[in-house]
Amino acid sequence: MAPLLEVKDLVKYFPTYSRGIFRKKIVGNVHAVDGISFSVNESEIVGLVGESGCGKTTTGKLILYLERPTKGEILFDGKNAIEIFENGSKEEKMELRRSMQMVFQNPYASLDPRMTVFDIISEPFKIHKHVPRNEWKERVYKLLELVGLEPYHAERYPHEFSGGQRQRICIARAIAVEPRFIIADEPVSSLDVSIRAQILKLIMDLQHRLGVSYLYISHDLSSVRQISQRVMVMYLGEIVEAAPTDELFDHSIHPYTRALISAVPIPDPKRKMNIILLPGEVPSAINPPSGCRFHPRCRYATSECKEEKPSFVEVDKDHYVSCHHYAEFA
Amino acid sequence: MGLAKYVVRRIIYMIPLVIGISIVSFFVMYAAGDPIQIATMGNPSITEAQRQFLRNYYGLNDPIPVQYLRWLDHFIHGDFGMSLYGGKPVNQIIGSLFWETSKLQLFSIILAFIIAIPAGVYSAVKQRSVTDYSVTSVSIFGISMPVFWFGIVLILIFSYHLGLLPSAGAHGAPSLWPVFGIRDPFLDELAHLILPATVLIFAGLAWHVRLLRAGMLEVLRQDYIMAARASGISERKILYKYALKNAITPLITLLGLEIGLMIGGAPVTEFVFSWPGLGRAYVTAVSKLDFPLIMGITMIITIMVLIANLITDLAYAWIDPKVRLE
Repeated sequence: MAPLLEVKDLVKYFPTYSRGIFRKKIVGNVHAVDGISFSVNESEIVGLVGESGCGKTTTGKLILYLERPTKGEILFDGKNAIEIFENGSKEEKMELRRSMQMVFQNPYASLDPRMTVFDIISEPFKIHKHVPRNEWKERVYKLLELVGLEPYHAERYPHEFSGGQRQRICIARAIAVEPRFIIADEPVSSLDVSIRAQILKLIMDLQHRLGVSYLYISHDLSSVRQISQRVMVMYLGEIVEAAPTDELFDHSIHPYTRALISAVPIPDPKRKMNIILLPGEVPSAINPPSGCRFHPRCRYATSECKEEKPSFVEVDKDHYVSCHHYAEFA
Repeated sequence: MGLAKYVVRRIIYMIPLVIGISIVSFFVMYAAGDPIQIATMGNPSITEAQRQFLRNYYGLNDPIPVQYLRWLDHFIHGDFGMSLYGGKPVNQIIGSLFWETSKLQLFSIILAFIIAIPAGVYSAVKQRSVTDYSVTSVSIFGISMPVFWFGIVLILIFSYHLGLLPSAGAHGAPSLWPVFGIRDPFLDELAHLILPATVLIFAGLAWHVRLLRAGMLEVLRQDYIMAARASGISERKILYKYALKNAITPLITLLGLEIGLMIGGAPVTEFVFSWPGLGRAYVTAVSKLDFPLIMGITMIITIMVLIANLITDLAYAWIDPKVRLE
């Protein structure tokens, strides 16, 4: 079966400028996303993890064309999404917009403070006209119920809600268009731990009930493990390892993935943790290291790693890794 | 109803404020000097006895608190007394000038506001572009230009050299507007408005544009704008409906201030264009110590500012759901 979303060699460079007296000059590029490829199947949750600044959020925005990709191809349901957003007809664009939605990281910034919840959730009906006006009310109430809010909340404004409730409103807004694919960009990272589980449960619930696929972006490995079927690990604009969730957590290969997994806190005070400490800082994405981008921080790095870029190879079924020495770690 | 109650309460609160301001201005005014002395200064043949007679006539010899209470009594009955010059009732003087000043000011303020919206939005969207810099430069140019200089330059170009627009007055210039020979009173008034309004718009535009630009830059970074884009709303609608609604609050404050202060706000422009307005009358009245007229205009400005404040607060509550009128 063809995947719902297929991303091929996606690249996004942000130019950096030097400000002269009269004109600005491009002095370099931030390699935010540097040639990543992956796919998301129908009604599948794929996790995308990595440190801050590694390009996770940019990837999400590129897929929705909220940022314009520098290079690459995005196929949604077999159709070339970038081409449609750039040159497609209004109908094609609207159809694509309807199929993909995003839930943002900060629920305090992602709801228009001047609109009531009813206006926010019914907005998509107004744009896409897929729900007749006399059914709006009913539909909004249904959506509120679906995300665990009450009908009377519809008349309120965003500032009257807590973070968790706001995130539910964001999710309700995203599913109001009946999308097939949702990008959830750290939807729980700004929430209290007690609320997180509820939101994660809601996301999985919607996957089962509505068959929605997700790209779940997070730096929190435990939530990724809980909800995704497959996980991709990103480092400095590249995907370094991708595998089905259990495979990745139990048999990780890439030294970076291993370091990340070792840093996940285990709620057992007696168990000793063997955290793999990575030396140094994440290098600048303006001048990424040569060869394997992880080599300056990798304790297994050899001269080969410094010079040659490793290829992304399938080491096991659906388990891909980008490391010269994968055979030794497997 | 909550709103009506709120408005009534606010208006009741205004009463002590108005009285307080009137007391302060009244006493400050009396400390400034003797109007009879100033009025008769140029006439050496007037004797001290005649001056005394005039002072008695206008009641200026009574103790100041007594004079104030007398003024207050008249004020409450809607009577500002007689001007010391020309003997016309102050109500009548203000009445004829009030319309001219408000016409000029409202026209300029509203036009500046309307021009600022696309200019501010556009320069925020195209931040650091040539357009952004041009919009900023033009508005800073307007704000830094002295009104008396810019006004006179405009008169020189458009009235003196080109003969296109009238240079003085609010209507019916002595030699009727020569260009099209139009005698329609409305067009005549409009023609008189153009030059002084241009000066005022230029002087006020920068505030509007800069405030809106800053607000838009802030709002456009928010995720809810991104969410609106992701749901397929057209860029134009995102800017002018969603973002603008969130960015416009400071502009409403500014608009409220400007409308409150508009009555006394532009004496210089009124002088340059010989506009028959209150600002000019106010300055003249102060220089001649025309007590009843000074008090009359001061009170009109006070009441205008208070009412504009109230309207601004109501507009806030209307536009921003977070503001509750308590």
